[in-house]
Amino acid sequence: MSIEVRNITKIFGEFAALKDVSLKVPSGELVALLGPSGSGKTTLLRVIAGLEIPDQGVVLFDAQDATARSARDRRVGFVFQHYALFRHMTVFENVAFGLRVKPPHERPSAAKIFKRVHELLALVQLERLAQRYPSQLSGGQRQRVALARALAVQPKVLLLDEPFGALDAKVRQELRRWLRRLHDDIGITSVFVTHDQDEALEVADRVVILHEGRVEQEGSPEDVYEHPASPFVYRFLGNVNLFHGRVEGSKIHLGEFSMDAPADMGKETIPAVAYARPHLLDIDHHQPTGRPHFRATIAHINAAGAIVKIELTTDSGAIVNVEMPHERYRHLQLRKGVIVFVSVKDMKVFAQAQSTLGAGI
Amino acid sequence: MRESHLSEPTAVRWLLIAIAVVFLAMFLLVPLAAVFTEALRKGVGVYVVALREPDALAAIRLTLLTAVIAVPLNLVFGVMAAWAIAKFDFPGKHLLITLIDLPFSVSPVVCGLIYVLLFGLQGWFGPWLFAHHIKIIFAVPGIILATIFVTFPFVARELIPLMQAQGTEDEEAARVLGADGWQTFWRVTLPNVKWGLLYGVILCNARAMGEFGAVSVVSGHIRGQTTTIPLHIEILYNEYHATAAFAVASLLALLALVTLVAKAWVEWKAHESLKESVHEH
Repeated sequence: MSIEVRNITKIFGEFAALKDVSLKVPSGELVALLGPSGSGKTTLLRVIAGLEIPDQGVVLFDAQDATARSARDRRVGFVFQHYALFRHMTVFENVAFGLRVKPPHERPSAAKIFKRVHELLALVQLERLAQRYPSQLSGGQRQRVALARALAVQPKVLLLDEPFGALDAKVRQELRRWLRRLHDDIGITSVFVTHDQDEALEVADRVVILHEGRVEQEGSPEDVYEHPASPFVYRFLGNVNLFHGRVEGSKIHLGEFSMDAPADMGKETIPAVAYARPHLLDIDHHQPTGRPHFRATIAHINAAGAIVKIELTTDSGAIVNVEMPHERYRHLQLRKGVIVFVSVKDMKVFAQAQSTLGAGI
Repeated sequence: MRESHLSEPTAVRWLLIAIAVVFLAMFLLVPLAAVFTEALRKGVGVYVVALREPDALAAIRLTLLTAVIAVPLNLVFGVMAAWAIAKFDFPGKHLLITLIDLPFSVSPVVCGLIYVLLFGLQGWFGPWLFAHHIKIIFAVPGIILATIFVTFPFVARELIPLMQAQGTEDEEAARVLGADGWQTFWRVTLPNVKWGLLYGVILCNARAMGEFGAVSVVSGHIRGQTTTIPLHIEILYNEYHATAAFAVASLLALLALVTLVAKAWVEWKAHESLKESVHEH
């Protein structure tokens, strides 16, 4: 089933959690709502589920208006951040809940409920724990019970609120991959909320980035990572070096170096910010030709891991992070305290409002 | 080992403990023991006779009747009020919380007088009730009404903080899974608060059976008809039937002991389930 929200606005007292948000989720897709806390991502999920009533806008399921439909009639599966398992029921009873509360003429027989619950428990690999209580399970197991419970009523849509938020890093990794596989197996339209960009980029077909109640950008993981639409998205997705400066004519001056400004920036003098991911900066012992560059001193080297992370201090005292492969690092024979040249392979420039202009490097 | 500099000197500690124990013994244990000693002073025979006397039996019956009506009503009211306050936002919520506490902050005698003022012969509804031959004041309905009023806060007060702490996520989960309001309440909300509820009911019952002030005002002290156990004890005592008074009083003392044990047990169970729910989140 496809989901569409149109012009949703939701205000809590003085706080506008969602401001005119529109979004389409095609049938069968796995979409991540990504944003920092307070960005409105959970509110949007709850609006889709019918747990919040929007002040404005409509929610459509398969192009049919579902805004007035109550949460119990929307047939969505919802997995809560803290699972919200019924603590006085066994795992079996938790999963069976949605089947047991059906109206008498729709309610399956006890034998069918038993069969269905055990199928679901097999799907989440918890068959052996059917008679346990939630308090006797680990976080990852509870998460899977919550998922099985949500799937029991055969929802058309699966909504997950920070599904891995409360788990430790290793279990999180496993569950992420498992969720992706599960989604591919059963093909249910799924939306999950996360503040973890790695999680969103790794798991989702499409990522929707929310910021202060608005959709900042949406697209495939590669799309939003490679072509961020705003400084916020650039900062939010991965590590980034930030350079403040100004555009003058066809040049952009960024403190210690200048480069050609993008053609669409106009000709007048405006403040601007430039972003460069650590792996889009390079280090050399000699002054490079052809690329914009500046001088810096190596302050710290972290060579543990798949890439080498180097922290440098520019002549004006700003900190710059660079990442490079081990081969390059060995070739350069870098050491702490050495003065080098940092060159820019690629950089994204955004015009900036006057008020937020900071000091350049 | 206890770090000596982090704690009081041994002498001080023992002194404090001793004071607490002596105080407890003097003000709680000795009177309790005295009740039973006095009741049995003239032998078990006299004790049993005092309890089987018709007026005593009538008082016991009336007390039980009052509790049987007042406690379930307050159970229902308390659950409804707590549910509304903890799970929903509505205007006047704080006023409602304050109103629930009213019986705690008003003297029981005043509670009784309110009913006399309302339903007494000189009261607002008195003439109408008299004309329709309905008797509330100086009759059983008045005693029950006064008891309900005085014991109203116990269940609600116990449940409100518990339900507020548990939040609404479980209810939301039930709703999304297709449960209607009734199913959600019976299958999710109520089981989640069962120990708190039982605790409130035990306290409510103890107070309903032991209430004196409010009931005394509306009762009229008609022996064998409108005297509850506490009122009956007072009458016996005023008429210098000390042994009989203590014999009947021992019933209330026993009720107190049973209540204490039940309360401790429920507290322990509630603590266990709270530990589980904390572990869960």
